[in-house]
Amino acid sequence: MSVGFIGAGQLAHALVKGFTAAGVIATHKIMASSPDTELPTVSGLRKMGVNFTTSNKETANRSDVLFLAVKPHIIPFVLDEIGPDIQDRHLIVSCAAGVTISSIEKKLVQYRPAPRVMRCMTNTPVVVREGATVYAVGTHAEAEDGRLLEQLMASVGFCTEVEEDLIDAVTGLSGSGPAYAFTALDALADGGVKMGLPRRLAVRLGAQALLGAAKMLLDSEQHPGQLKDNVCSPGGATIHALHFLESGGFRSLLINAVEASCIRTRELQSLADQESISPAAIKKTTLDKVLQQPGVAAAGGPKAAVSLFNKSNPGRKRN
Amino acid sequence: MSVGFIGAGQLAHALVKGFAAAGVIATQKITASSPDMDLPTVSGLRRMGVNLTTSNKETVKRSDVLFLAVKPHIIPFVLDEVGPDIEDRHLIVSCAAGVTISSIEKKLQQYREAPKVMRCMTNTPVVVREGATVYATGTHAEVEDGRLLEQLMASVGFCTEVEEDLIDAVTGLSGSGPAYAFTAVDALADGGVKMGLPRRLAVRLGAQALLGAARMLLDSEQHPGQLKDNVCSPGGATIHALHVMESGGFRSLLINAVEASCIRTRELQFLADQEKISAAAIKKTTLDKVLQQPGVSGAGVTVRTGISIFNSDSPPRQKNS
Repeated sequence: MSVGFIGAGQLAHALVKGFTAAGVIATHKIMASSPDTELPTVSGLRKMGVNFTTSNKETANRSDVLFLAVKPHIIPFVLDEIGPDIQDRHLIVSCAAGVTISSIEKKLVQYRPAPRVMRCMTNTPVVVREGATVYAVGTHAEAEDGRLLEQLMASVGFCTEVEEDLIDAVTGLSGSGPAYAFTALDALADGGVKMGLPRRLAVRLGAQALLGAAKMLLDSEQHPGQLKDNVCSPGGATIHALHFLESGGFRSLLINAVEASCIRTRELQSLADQESISPAAIKKTTLDKVLQQPGVAAAGGPKAAVSLFNKSNPGRKRN
Repeated sequence: MSVGFIGAGQLAHALVKGFAAAGVIATQKITASSPDMDLPTVSGLRRMGVNLTTSNKETVKRSDVLFLAVKPHIIPFVLDEVGPDIEDRHLIVSCAAGVTISSIEKKLQQYREAPKVMRCMTNTPVVVREGATVYATGTHAEVEDGRLLEQLMASVGFCTEVEEDLIDAVTGLSGSGPAYAFTAVDALADGGVKMGLPRRLAVRLGAQALLGAARMLLDSEQHPGQLKDNVCSPGGATIHALHVMESGGFRSLLINAVEASCIRTRELQFLADQEKISAAAIKKTTLDKVLQQPGVSGAGVTVRTGISIFNSDSPPRQKNS
């Protein structure tokens, strides 16, 4: 079984690193494509022994499981490019936040009657095999497709199947979650440094404390509130600290964060459904380089995208 | 080598569970004592094969490494009780927040010339072998004593030696840290549930996200801010979320928490140094049962009264810190 990644950015790099550490697939059976060979992740992938190409079509032709690891607004362009190359054996797994299975199926059925599509939301700690992944199965995906994906993703962390309508909420929680944690760890270390600890030690202790607590919670049947109670001795240091957190609305900030990320995910999905790229969005990708080529139209719609990809210049995208 | 715990509460239970899982010591070589046999942790310790007793003196006699796992204000009483039983072989390791090595050495020197004392600050995730521990060595502790303790504590997580004056700050950070994390996961799960996730899944995903991020940071040479940048794609969901956190002063709340815990630890140390127990503090422990005994004075309990209490038939009561 070969695995392909459309896109060779952070997500592809993290997944490949995790899969190889887990020994679940050999790197020479992995191919990744990106028009931008300057990405730092590209050299990382190469160093791991992944086959790298600038041609998405080549990746599609050489893969059985095809991960779409590009930014959400690039997905329609990619689908139009590789649509003709999709075979019965292909399992398409989209990792793009907010992109629905039905939007992907709609594009692909122009080329094939029953494309097997799945959608997953994972996060970067797959790179250390402690990821959090959920997936939903599309109309034509079989039971063993789900099992195959779950086997792959479970090798790099927690993985479970969900109904598709939960995926945006998962994005807000565990998709964005690591960023909340990194911010918290930076602040905790600042607290430690303020009270006299050297920086390195403070970062180490903060991260270890979070890791240990999370592991306790995962290994326990108890409510997080009960575990919190267990470490708050009467009149002690910890309950004094907790009071400060509560006074500042600590919990509310985290609820807000999950909500904001989820809402933005839905917004991005809505923009993607409109299937048009604003000039501003184009600027944010390397598509602009493509549009500067002589003879290439500047209007950004799916038809323009198809004509772009039929030229000798491969489509540009970032992950 | 045998290990003893004065105190059979949360900390003793967590350490024993971790040590046993790590296979670093057999449970039958562990003794723990507490006057309160009804503690839920006591039955947990029994089930693990630990020798339980109500006599601190018995624990001391049967141990080489002696962990003091009781609340800070109980330490002086315990030291006065076990002081006469300390031998040359004993390594005393205090886990009590805010209790200084010098205060312990001062007490023990009434009974022995060169007591080997160390002080450590650990945390409850030792129970799953992912603890965070620091320790400082006392005046008479040898190099191999430090190595022995580090070997024990490294079997249940991260462990490093520090200067004693850093320990209060460590208490505020990694000592109390798990409580900040449990609160955060509770809130993250609330957020997930608000947006439609079932509770169990939300708790699972929140805890897994924190665990994975912490693991990434520990395994990486990169700054947490760099790792944060790496997961914030332009105009994406994550940077939107981060903005609302920053707007609410999220970082500041955590700095406040570390500071508050550290300051309270120093306060407790100061109270302990005065070597007096207020009546209110006594209520918080089971010492009150001792004081209700006939012939025991209830006024201004001081160290001297402590000695006379412990020379009576009733054993001292203590709760775990």
